Amino acid sequence: MKRYFMGLGILMFLLSTLPVYAGAPLDTVQANVNKVLDVLRDPNLKSESAKGTKKEKLEAIYEQMFDGVELSMRTMGANWNKLNPAQQKEFVQLYRQILEKAYIDKILSYTNEKIVFPKESMLSNSQAEVQTKVITSSKEIPIFYRVILKNGTWKVYDVVIENVSLVQNYRSQFNSILAKNTPDQLLETLRKKVKGQ
Amino acid sequence: MKRLPFLVFLLAFLAVGCAHRSSAVSPLPPLVKVDSHSEEIPLKSPEVSVTSGNESADRKENPGNGEKGEEAEIATIPDPLESFNRAMFGFNDKLYFWVLKPVAQGYKKVVPEAPRVGVKNFFSNLKFPIRFLSCLLQADLSGAATEFGRFAVNTIWGVGGLMDPASSKQLNIPKNEADLGQTLGVYGLGQGFYIVLPVLGPYSARDSIGIAGDYFLYPVSYITPWYDWLAVRAYEEVNDTSLRIGDYEFIKEAAIDPYVALRDAYSQYRQKKVEEGRGKPATPKPGGVR
Repeated sequence: MKRYFMGLGILMFLLSTLPVYAGAPLDTVQANVNKVLDVLRDPNLKSESAKGTKKEKLEAIYEQMFDGVELSMRTMGANWNKLNPAQQKEFVQLYRQILEKAYIDKILSYTNEKIVFPKESMLSNSQAEVQTKVITSSKEIPIFYRVILKNGTWKVYDVVIENVSLVQNYRSQFNSILAKNTPDQLLETLRKKVKGQ
Repeated sequence: MKRLPFLVFLLAFLAVGCAHRSSAVSPLPPLVKVDSHSEEIPLKSPEVSVTSGNESADRKENPGNGEKGEEAEIATIPDPLESFNRAMFGFNDKLYFWVLKPVAQGYKKVVPEAPRVGVKNFFSNLKFPIRFLSCLLQADLSGAATEFGRFAVNTIWGVGGLMDPASSKQLNIPKNEADLGQTLGVYGLGQGFYIVLPVLGPYSARDSIGIAGDYFLYPVSYITPWYDWLAVRAYEEVNDTSLRIGDYEFIKEAAIDPYVALRDAYSQYRQKKVEEGRGKPATPKPGGVR
C-alpha cells in the first residue's frame, strides 16, 4: 500500500512540474501564424487585384490573434490614464492601423520562408512567450510573441523582433511625444500618420 | 609533423564548441531581466540625474496594475544631448539617402549578391580579434573557442574568409558577436547617455569606448596611408549597406518619431546583448550571414 501511494505521490509531483497550459500558448500562436501563411500562400489570391481581399483576411486574423486593448495599454503605460475613454478607443484603432500600414507590406512580401517554433516559456501564470524564427536565404530572424491568457484564449500583447520589443519601442516614442504635447495632439499626429503615409 | 599539435589543438577547440552547443537550454526567466535591471540602476543613477527634463529615463516601469509590473522593462537610455543627437540623426539621415544608398544601389545593380556576401564574410572574418578578445574578457571560454574555430575554418577552408563554411549545416559552429562595448556592459558599466555620432551612427557612451577599442583590434585599421584605410572602410560600408537596403527605411516608416524609435531600438538591442553576455544562455546564436 505504502509503495503504491509513494509511486502515486511521485507521479503527481512529476505531473505538477509540467506547465499548467502545456503547449497552449505555442499552439495558439502557431495556429494563427499558419492561418496567415495559408492566406499568403493561397494560389487564388496571388494576383494584384486580390491584394485587398488578402489584407481583409489578414486584418481578421489580427483581430483574433492580438489583444489590441492590452497592446495599447502596455504601450501607453502610465500615459494610458491621461486619455479619456473616447480617446482611448480611438487610440486603439489608430495604433492598429499604424501597425498594419507598417508591417503589411513586409508580410505580403513573404515568399515561402520557413517559420519554426523552437520554444515556449511561461512568464507567469497567465503570460507566456512563444519563440519563433523566420529562416530566410541569408539570415534567421527571431520573432517572439508574448501572449496573455484572457477569457480562455491566448492573445498577443507584444512582439519582440530581433530582441527589440514593439511595445517598448512605441512606448518610448509616445512618452517623448506626450512630454511636450497633449493627448489630442498625439491622436492628431497618429491620424495624420495613418492618412499621410 | 609540427602541424599535428596545432590540428589536435584546433580539434579540441571545435569539440568544446560542439559540446557547448548541445547543453540544455534554460527557459527565458524574467528573473534574469530583473537582475540585470537592478544591477544597471545603481550604475546609471549618476547619469539619470543629468537627464534633460523631458526624458522619461527616470520613470521605471510604471504599470497600471501589478500584472504589468512583472514585465521587468529596461529603463530607457538617458539622452541629455538630445538636440545635438537629433541634428546628427538628421545629418546621418541625409548622408544615407543622398550618398550611401544611391552608391549602394548602384553597386548592388552591378555586383550579384553572392560576391557581396563573400565580401561581407571577408570583413566579418577579419573582425575575429574583436570577438575573440571580447569573449575572453567576458570569461566566455567556449565562446572564444568557437570564434577561434570559426576563424580557422573560414580562413583555411573558406578561401581567406570569403566563404563561411563554419556556418554550413554540417559544421554549424555558432557565431558569437561579442564586442568590447558588450564586454564593458557585462563588467557592469551602464550604457551611459545616448549619442549619435556623425557618419558612424547611434551609440551609447559606453559603446563609444567600445568601438574605440575595437578599432585597435581590427586589422583593417592598420592600413596605411590613411586614404587607403578610408577607402577600404567606405567600401566595406557600401557593401554592407547594399545587403541591407530597406531596413532603415522600414524603421522610419513604422515609427511616429524615427529618432526616438532608433534610439530605443539601439538601447534595447545593446541591453539584450549585455544580458546575453552575462547570462551566457546555452543556446548560442546560430551561424549564418547577419
